[in-house]
Amino acid sequence: METEITNKPSRQKVTFIVLISIISVFIIYYSIMSMTSPVRKLEEIKNKFGSKSAENNEVDQRILMDSTYLKLLKEKAFLQSRVLMAETDSIYLTINLADSTANLEICGVVVHKAKMNSVKTSQILVKGNENTILSMLASPFTISHAFATIKKEPLMIKMAPKDTSEYKPDIMPDTSITEPVNYILEMKGGIRIYVYQEENVKFNDRMSHLSFDIKDKLRDTWSALKNVAVLKVPEYHPFIKLRLPRTDAKIIFRAIPKNGQIAVYS
Amino acid sequence: MKNKKIIDDSTQAENEKNTAANNTANIKNINMADNTLSQKTGARKLLFSFFHSVFIIICSILVIFILIIFILYVVPVLMEFSPQQKTEITNNKELMKDPLYKKQISLLTKDVQRLSLKFNAYTSGQSYIVINTTENRFFLYTNKKLVREGFCSSGSYTMLQTAGNKKWIFKTPKGKYWIHGKTTNPVWKRPDWSFVEEGSPIPPKDDFSRYEYGVLGDYALALGDGYLIHGTIYKRFLGMPVTHGCVRLNDDDLKVIFNTLNIGSKVYIF
Repeated sequence: METEITNKPSRQKVTFIVLISIISVFIIYYSIMSMTSPVRKLEEIKNKFGSKSAENNEVDQRILMDSTYLKLLKEKAFLQSRVLMAETDSIYLTINLADSTANLEICGVVVHKAKMNSVKTSQILVKGNENTILSMLASPFTISHAFATIKKEPLMIKMAPKDTSEYKPDIMPDTSITEPVNYILEMKGGIRIYVYQEENVKFNDRMSHLSFDIKDKLRDTWSALKNVAVLKVPEYHPFIKLRLPRTDAKIIFRAIPKNGQIAVYS
Repeated sequence: MKNKKIIDDSTQAENEKNTAANNTANIKNINMADNTLSQKTGARKLLFSFFHSVFIIICSILVIFILIIFILYVVPVLMEFSPQQKTEITNNKELMKDPLYKKQISLLTKDVQRLSLKFNAYTSGQSYIVINTTENRFFLYTNKKLVREGFCSSGSYTMLQTAGNKKWIFKTPKGKYWIHGKTTNPVWKRPDWSFVEEGSPIPPKDDFSRYEYGVLGDYALALGDGYLIHGTIYKRFLGMPVTHGCVRLNDDDLKVIFNTLNIGSKVYIF
């Protein structure tokens, strides 16, 4: 008796191939959409700030590429931002990427100076059109959200004793506890300032940094996936990543108000 | 002869019987071998399907893991490589001779100088104090120079709550303040929370039990809204957040600050 041998692929194999194809197509689509987002963001910045620089400077294109002119323009933009913020009574932050310092100021008075250990900036801020970026930096950024590993106000709730017999005097607070300090300040224009503590020797510090980073990436990916699902280009957040000593990072986060302002000198 | 034939027949029958028995035994053996073989093949098949399933599961986990890594870490890196046009910065000497260029540069320089002057004017040449509530430290400046620094105590960030849901938050306010008043040998008029905190009944507004002498040190500088910079009897707590909102200093620092700052001097708290 002859047996008919057929090479029909099993149902499992077909499902597997279809699944892999769908995933591959989705990844390609997601990657392309994500890669177009910085270009779109730059266009958005150009539309918002690019026209300003063209109106204010009636000069030929050569001057817009001149190093002396750009240096002065940078200084002017930074000073303009600082003067604007100094006129408010609030505490604000100035980040100078050129000399790696982050200062807290109140009404034009530098109240705290911090030295940055390392700085990493988004390519859009480095490679983007200098004039457009400078026009954007001429006005301070306002914080819209903050994500942090520490509390802004470490409030402790204490119930009042019913009578003097229940009263217990306050004990000395434990100042030896050092919690990892990492946070993100998201600005209204979508720019993000990441501040990580410099000290990463302890296992706890490294794990906190890793989990904080993963949480941030998951948040971003989720939002990007939602956009991609409705055929929208995901939102791109230009960033500045700083590493500061833990104490300085904590002081800045606790001092700056919820909707505080930040000026950046690039 | 006949006997011999009978013997031959019986031998043959016996042989046939033996052969049959042997055959049966062989068949049994073959069956047993078959059974063992099929059992072995079944076990092998089971083992194979088990390893196959494990392999598929591992592969699936690996694919999902790679996918997550790709989306979380590779895509953001790829985003940074997207094409952007960089401004080519030049240092054209011909351009520097251009009168329009010179005009633009001089205009910009004037703007920068004007803004610098405006900004520098914010920092007073008079004395002022900066208080860091996170580190519980103070910095005293005169003529824009640091003249003294040390430890202080600021608000404890405690919220005192009563059964009746009355609340007080003990924190030092942040921002720009100024000295509203200066007092020597200050007397502390205990507010309501001070009694609530101890579980004591709240006395009338101007009751004598509200007044305490010697607990605020030798001097006090008022910041407004009841907040003071004063001395303390709890010197071991200096450098820690333990107060009800006021700023506590040790006796020597307080004396210097009291003598340096005037009414109207700025106090920057962050």
